[in-house]
Amino acid sequence: MDNILTLLVFFPAIAGLLGFVIEEKSMRVYGITVTVLEFFLSLWLWGIYDGANAGLQFVEFVPIIPSMGVNYYLGLDGISLFIVLMSTFMTMIGVISLSIKKNLKNMIISLLFLEMTMIGVFVSLDAIIFYLFWELSLVPMFYIIGAWGGPLRIYASIKFFLYTFTGSLVMLVGMLYVAYAYHDLTGVWSFALTDWYSVVFSVDAQMWLFAAFFVGFAIKVPMFPFHTWLPYAHGQAPTIGSVILAAVLLKMGTYGFVRFSLPMFPDAAVIWIEPIAVLSLIMIIYTAMVAYAQKDIKQVIAYSSVSHMGIIMLGIFAMNAEGITGSVFQMIAHGIVSGALFMLVGMIYDRRHTKMMDQFGGLASVMPKFALIFGVMLMSSVGLPLTMGFVGEFLVLIGFYHVSPMITILGGTSIILGAVYMLSLFKKSFFGPVTIEENRTLKDLNANEIWSLLPLVVLVIWLGVYPKPVLQPIDNSVHALLKFMDEKAVNEETKALIHVATKTKEAK
Amino acid sequence: MENLIYIALFAPLVSSLFAGVFAMSPRATFVGVISSILLLVSFFASAQLAYFVYSTNAVIHTTMMPWIMAGDFFVEFGFVVDHISVTMMTVVTLVSTVVHIYSIGYMDHDKSFNRFFSYLSAFVFSMMVLVMSDNFLGLFIGWEGVGVCSWLLIGFWYHKPDVSRDENPSISPSWAANEAFIMNRVADLGMLIGIFILYWSVGSLKYDVVFATLPHLSETVLTTAALALFIGAMGKSAQFPLHTWLTDAMEGPTPVSALIHAATMVTAGVFLVIRANPLFAMTPEVSFFIAGLGTFVAFFAASMALVNRDLKRIIAFSTLSQLGYMFAAAGLGAYWIALFHLAAHAFFKALLFLGAGNVMHAMHDELDIFKMGGLKKYMRWTYIYMGVASLALAGIPVFAGFFSKDAIIETAFNEEAYVLWGMLVVTAGMTAFYSFRQVFLTFAGVPRYDTHHLHPHDMYRYVLIAMSPLALLAVFAGFFKEEFEAFVTHLLPSYHMSEHTHHLVGLLTVIVLGFAIGGIYLAYKKYYNGLKRDEKCENSFIYKLLVNQYYIPHFYEEFIAKPYTMISQKLWQEVDMKIVDAIVDAIAYFFYNSGDVTRRMQTGNLSHYLNWMAAGTAVLLLAAVLFA
Repeated sequence: MDNILTLLVFFPAIAGLLGFVIEEKSMRVYGITVTVLEFFLSLWLWGIYDGANAGLQFVEFVPIIPSMGVNYYLGLDGISLFIVLMSTFMTMIGVISLSIKKNLKNMIISLLFLEMTMIGVFVSLDAIIFYLFWELSLVPMFYIIGAWGGPLRIYASIKFFLYTFTGSLVMLVGMLYVAYAYHDLTGVWSFALTDWYSVVFSVDAQMWLFAAFFVGFAIKVPMFPFHTWLPYAHGQAPTIGSVILAAVLLKMGTYGFVRFSLPMFPDAAVIWIEPIAVLSLIMIIYTAMVAYAQKDIKQVIAYSSVSHMGIIMLGIFAMNAEGITGSVFQMIAHGIVSGALFMLVGMIYDRRHTKMMDQFGGLASVMPKFALIFGVMLMSSVGLPLTMGFVGEFLVLIGFYHVSPMITILGGTSIILGAVYMLSLFKKSFFGPVTIEENRTLKDLNANEIWSLLPLVVLVIWLGVYPKPVLQPIDNSVHALLKFMDEKAVNEETKALIHVATKTKEAK
Repeated sequence: MENLIYIALFAPLVSSLFAGVFAMSPRATFVGVISSILLLVSFFASAQLAYFVYSTNAVIHTTMMPWIMAGDFFVEFGFVVDHISVTMMTVVTLVSTVVHIYSIGYMDHDKSFNRFFSYLSAFVFSMMVLVMSDNFLGLFIGWEGVGVCSWLLIGFWYHKPDVSRDENPSISPSWAANEAFIMNRVADLGMLIGIFILYWSVGSLKYDVVFATLPHLSETVLTTAALALFIGAMGKSAQFPLHTWLTDAMEGPTPVSALIHAATMVTAGVFLVIRANPLFAMTPEVSFFIAGLGTFVAFFAASMALVNRDLKRIIAFSTLSQLGYMFAAAGLGAYWIALFHLAAHAFFKALLFLGAGNVMHAMHDELDIFKMGGLKKYMRWTYIYMGVASLALAGIPVFAGFFSKDAIIETAFNEEAYVLWGMLVVTAGMTAFYSFRQVFLTFAGVPRYDTHHLHPHDMYRYVLIAMSPLALLAVFAGFFKEEFEAFVTHLLPSYHMSEHTHHLVGLLTVIVLGFAIGGIYLAYKKYYNGLKRDEKCENSFIYKLLVNQYYIPHFYEEFIAKPYTMISQKLWQEVDMKIVDAIVDAIAYFFYNSGDVTRRMQTGNLSHYLNWMAAGTAVLLLAAVLFA
């Protein structure tokens, strides 16, 4: 199966095009079928992926503009594999749990296009193709927020679009510079990432380029102080929009750092550790506090996302396998957990048409199943061992401890502050007596909702108890990445800081 | 033997899942019965393992499967059954079994009966993981697991509303649950840091690897690691200043208080210090700090117990105080004595709590001992049980507490830590006083409750029978002190009193006993013949200070909780909205408005365009002249 990645990228898009001729009333079944097939396709990809091979696999290479070195160049390694799997999985779950009635057909078509762009971003190995998918992903999400959102949806969607778009343009300039530099060096044009990796830039050039890419990625993550589009986007987006946004779109930013910034500019990355660590700390602590001040459940989860992305950023810049592997794992974990939390908020919103905490209280006695699943996700979100959330968070912190104990201690406060806002949310909405009459008659989760949440619960626990199948391939690729960075680095200090594992244990 | 390990470990998990299946169905007695049977199975497996370790002195090691791996980091689910863990396993499963059976009676009328057993068994499972793991991260799983179960069980009656602190010092079960969880998390961060330090200096988290490498580590690493781990222990074992959650945790059902907040979970911190004794033995400053803090907490908690009126809170303070004793012993290097007191305390304190549960059951959840009295007529067995437990707690000879607590006090003397010794002796007297103040106010004298509406009666017979093993152990456990010492010192460093102390042992015992008996006598004089309120005393500053727990909960409320909420609010409304986001919008509006303004150039009038062209040419020419 040579073209499996192409199939994976374009199957949802083609199915989306065909969707235009499907009848509205069978659209739901159609959407579910397509996303389930897509998910099984990605599962199959995992099945045939060689976990022991750390390099890029399933590579496809078709020249598009040979004179400019623009190629249709796809491939994937342990780092992208699971993000792709998580994307197809969350899209599938999102479509299954879809409760929107209005313009369902257009919604599903938008989602299928969005799925194409997401997977495209994670498997592209050519900068132009990557950039295309990166920017294209804005369009369906722009529609989803703008057409199905809350009262402020136009403001929120435009803010989302323009903000991230501006950042991407700066990144594009950086990309063009790299391409020029490659041309200067070799006399040929190339946008292939693997070619770019071989260019050794001076430390000065690295600093500028790192900054250019940083702007693009940091807004997407979103890092403090570029995060303010996120609460609006989440606040106005329909449930499905928030789920995909939190689970997948944010990961594009952190993925970008791992795929572009680290291997291309290792020296600059090491020099940037401190400022990035400080920004990450602000993300972790400041947004955790802001999350605590929220009155709207969805806003708490939105701000908590920023806080968790801070942990992920910290891990990427730990410059050792513990931190980076943990970080990539945490991207998956956060995707699943925050996706589930947004779905849960959506379910209560469908029932009560409000997301304000003071409108609830005592839900645990009215909706015990809902409370149970919410509780599991909450515990994973605050990093309880034997749930997914712990593995990533722990590895990130232990990895970064090697770089700076002080920053790790401050970053570690996330386990306290996370518990503060999450438990206070849980207490306000689920505990206490039922004070509002309307809440007394709320229906607990129905079968469809349970079936769309149950896989998430199973995953959260399974990968918390036995993360090896996911950690191992990620770790192999991260190991290769670190070795590459270590060899490429110009500065001696960089080499000293990059910690390549000795890999003494039997490599399975 | 491996099978036995897994049976001991997983029987509680099976029990929890089984009860969990029925969590949302109506109350069913068989759920409680089957849970109890599964716990009994776990106990038998643990006891058999204990016998095996006792008879062969072999240590059983087993690895279930790998867990986390990244870079050089590698941790497995590994379990070790040695002298320390098997002692803990036996104690934990024994008390748990009794508490499970007890709960069938106690939770009889609760509609969430099934859910209760699910949580309770899940707790036992976590506790077993905590004590059986062969590495620090495995211990941390159990550590956090018991934390969550404690959160679930403290907040078990989550439907109760928040009330003011004056009405109920714990505000509400859900408030107390959150407080416990968050305060423990503060300490857990310390524990994690300790784990990080050990990992980066040793390269492994397995106990035996870590302990074997310790002699090669620098003093700074050892001290910081020991201190960080101890901060973790301070949270779980509710040592000052992280102690306020424990008394608030009394909002949970009484069997929970007996099992989690007296016998097992809160001793996890002591267990950690005992388990990591090679580390603490190499860091004398940290160890002495532990001993000092332990002694202080012993005294500090006992002082608050003197004046409290709440049946359960008195016992909670007493638990705090006894945990202080254990830390004092461990900090002074007498690890086996600490472990012995831990076990003995588990038996008599659980018994005391279960007795208190009987009283609450009879008094329709009344907790104020000033509104009780004269219950011995109706609740003879409970009276005997609580009396025995209190005698053990007070350290009266033949009862278990005498052997364990006396040894701790002797250790302090032996280490020439005379200040600690003095405080521990005085605390022993206070312990005796508040224990019997409680017993007499509850059972002796005349009824102070409404005798028309309340007709107290003793607990179901099977519940009373189920409590008997604890009572027997509270009486007889002390006699096995020497066997216990011989058993655990295979692994733990032995501790011997010096020649000097040996000579004085008689005198020392008499002093401690004098204080204990004096305390009981004082309580007898004051309270046996009924309650006489002493207005002057109750209005004094010291009394108020003690009743308000030295105002520490108020302090936390005013100086941590409230400012945190206020700063959070400000950060959101003032910083995030009015600065960070406003700048973004301002930039956007700048472009928008500048476009809006310059749009006026596009008038469609040709002569305007010509003017602009001329102006533009002039500017460009000027620029060319200036920069050429």
